[in-house]
Amino acid sequence: MTLQELYTLIGGDYNRAVQIMKMDRLIGRYIQKFPNSGVNEALQAAGESMDPVRLFESAHAMKGVCANMGLVKLADMVSALTEEFRAGNARRMSDEEVRAVIADVDALYRRTVEGIRQYESTL
Amino acid sequence: MIESKQIQHPQYVLIVDDQELNRDILGVILEDDYELLYAENGREALEVIREHIDDLCIVLLDLMMPVMDGFQVLEAMVADEEMRQIPVIVLTADKTAELRALKMGAADFITKPFDMHEVILARVSRIIELSEGRRLISAAEHDKLTMLYNRNFFFEYADRLYLYRPELQLDAVVMNIQQFHSVNELNGREFGDDVLRVIGNEIRAFLAETEGIACRFEADHFDIYCARQDDYAALLQRFQRKVDELSPNVDIHLRMGVKLWQEGVGPVLLFDRARTACNMVRGDYQSPLLIYNEDMRMRDLLNQRLLNDLRTAVDERQFVVYYQPKYNVQCNPPRLSSAEALIRWKHPELGMLPPGDFIPLFEGNGLISIVDSYVWAEAAAQVARWREKLGFTLPVSVNLSRADVFDQTLTGRLVKLMEDNSLRFGDIKLEVTESAYTENSRALLDVIARLREIGFEIEMDDFGSGYSSLNMLSAMPIDVLKMDMKFVRNIEHNPTDLRLVSLILDIAKYLRLHVVAEGVETEGQLALLRDAGCELVQGYYFSRPLPPEEFETLILQEIKREKETGT
Repeated sequence: MTLQELYTLIGGDYNRAVQIMKMDRLIGRYIQKFPNSGVNEALQAAGESMDPVRLFESAHAMKGVCANMGLVKLADMVSALTEEFRAGNARRMSDEEVRAVIADVDALYRRTVEGIRQYESTL
Repeated sequence: MIESKQIQHPQYVLIVDDQELNRDILGVILEDDYELLYAENGREALEVIREHIDDLCIVLLDLMMPVMDGFQVLEAMVADEEMRQIPVIVLTADKTAELRALKMGAADFITKPFDMHEVILARVSRIIELSEGRRLISAAEHDKLTMLYNRNFFFEYADRLYLYRPELQLDAVVMNIQQFHSVNELNGREFGDDVLRVIGNEIRAFLAETEGIACRFEADHFDIYCARQDDYAALLQRFQRKVDELSPNVDIHLRMGVKLWQEGVGPVLLFDRARTACNMVRGDYQSPLLIYNEDMRMRDLLNQRLLNDLRTAVDERQFVVYYQPKYNVQCNPPRLSSAEALIRWKHPELGMLPPGDFIPLFEGNGLISIVDSYVWAEAAAQVARWREKLGFTLPVSVNLSRADVFDQTLTGRLVKLMEDNSLRFGDIKLEVTESAYTENSRALLDVIARLREIGFEIEMDDFGSGYSSLNMLSAMPIDVLKMDMKFVRNIEHNPTDLRLVSLILDIAKYLRLHVVAEGVETEGQLALLRDAGCELVQGYYFSRPLPPEEFETLILQEIKREKETGT
């Protein structure tokens, strides 16, 4: 599996990742670190507590990492949570809807991790 | 040629982000161009910044972090004088946060998600360049020791104030330390620097209270361009007090010259005049402040003219050496014993100038050596001519200034002068003023001691006009004391002065020093001095200073008289 194929599989933007990280092999190196970044775990834990500050911080952190890796689909999903819980913004979603978004993020994250593992196995 | 880029110190960049992946990505982008440091929260960042305060070129700072966020880091950096010099680029996706950070002092921002790596590199490099430029300008702008402006920047800013803020009507104040070289010599350079730092601090404190700017013009000279003060003496006192607090055991005297604001007079001229006023308080500890006035302007113009005319005066032999006799009054009748060479300037346009008009001026800037050398040559040649003509040598004393002593060639030149005129060392006596001795320079004492060892007789001129203590006399290399005329002036009417003269004569006798009383004008003064045991006398009572031809007549008359009286 090539990196480009991996990005297509996990809903990423390979060109964007290249723009940021200069080289294909660097993207390869860092995408393998993504499953250990802990960003999704932090978001899931915040979802369980439904603490708005923790939710904002963890969504914000995950959005940044995903966007920098070119994982645009994941980044977009958590971005909605970031705006939902940004201080000063009015809530638009119910708690149930928030939990649903978090579950969607978790599902996409798991698929992404699975894709990365597949990519690793072809190296 | 080595380009400046190649002599840069390693450029350290601190990346602060709680997400390892983000730190890694920025690291990848920057690692080819910079040395990288990392921190994962604000507290850690501040520790790294403190540790690398001298090497750090920039901080890339995430705003949202656990433990301590980016805003708190910015706040701490702005509050710290050293840390605030390091530029910060904030990493943010949020426009509101970006604006807040910029208002708090961030230099720029990098949006999240990160832009193309070239954009990030360009931003980092541009901010570092700007900040380095600012640091260089700041270093060039300020004097490191006092943190006041340097001279060039000061005058640039003074010009701007003069042009764009004319309503301020700023005065020029020039201040320096009297005999600063002696302060450094006696107490060490480090102490001298401490004194300058204290003055710099107090000037900055003063300028925090009043409109103005200041610089260290050079060495111990400070220029202050400030709003009119009601009492400049009080201002000088304020600075003097701070210096005294630093050095209760060392006498350091500040002096100040002021030129008040004047319509149409720019800073350069204003400070020239304040400097002239400051220079005119040389040596006067009682009134160390002078405000520039019209008399000073006239005097300044004259001084400039005399300085310009000096070389021509030497070339055209406009200087004339006069001679004033010294008599041994212990003989009866008093006997011509020697003479003092005294200079006059026959200026082609200004007429005959007395030494007081130009000697202090030339002493102030070292040009006195030119005049002294001229007098030595004239006097030596004259002594040789009289010996040739009259068959005996009448010793003549000449002045040796402080500036002469620091000329490495002095001894060689004096020896050559003696040889060229076939004179013995005792034929020319060297007069050194008391004030030169009291400056107590080791170098000066060494040179004079060496001249004395060779065979020159050393006279201490103007003894009693300064502040030398009597117990210093025994340690000084001298043969003759020339008692200042102020002692003699009132001995007929003031018993205290007479007692003082007797005391000086006794001490001199005890130290085996000859004494010359200067400024003797009356029969009464002469009688008292003779009775008190004074050996030699000089003054108008016997003769005013005479041009060589008239002095020769005086010698001939003395010879004739001695023959007639058989003495």
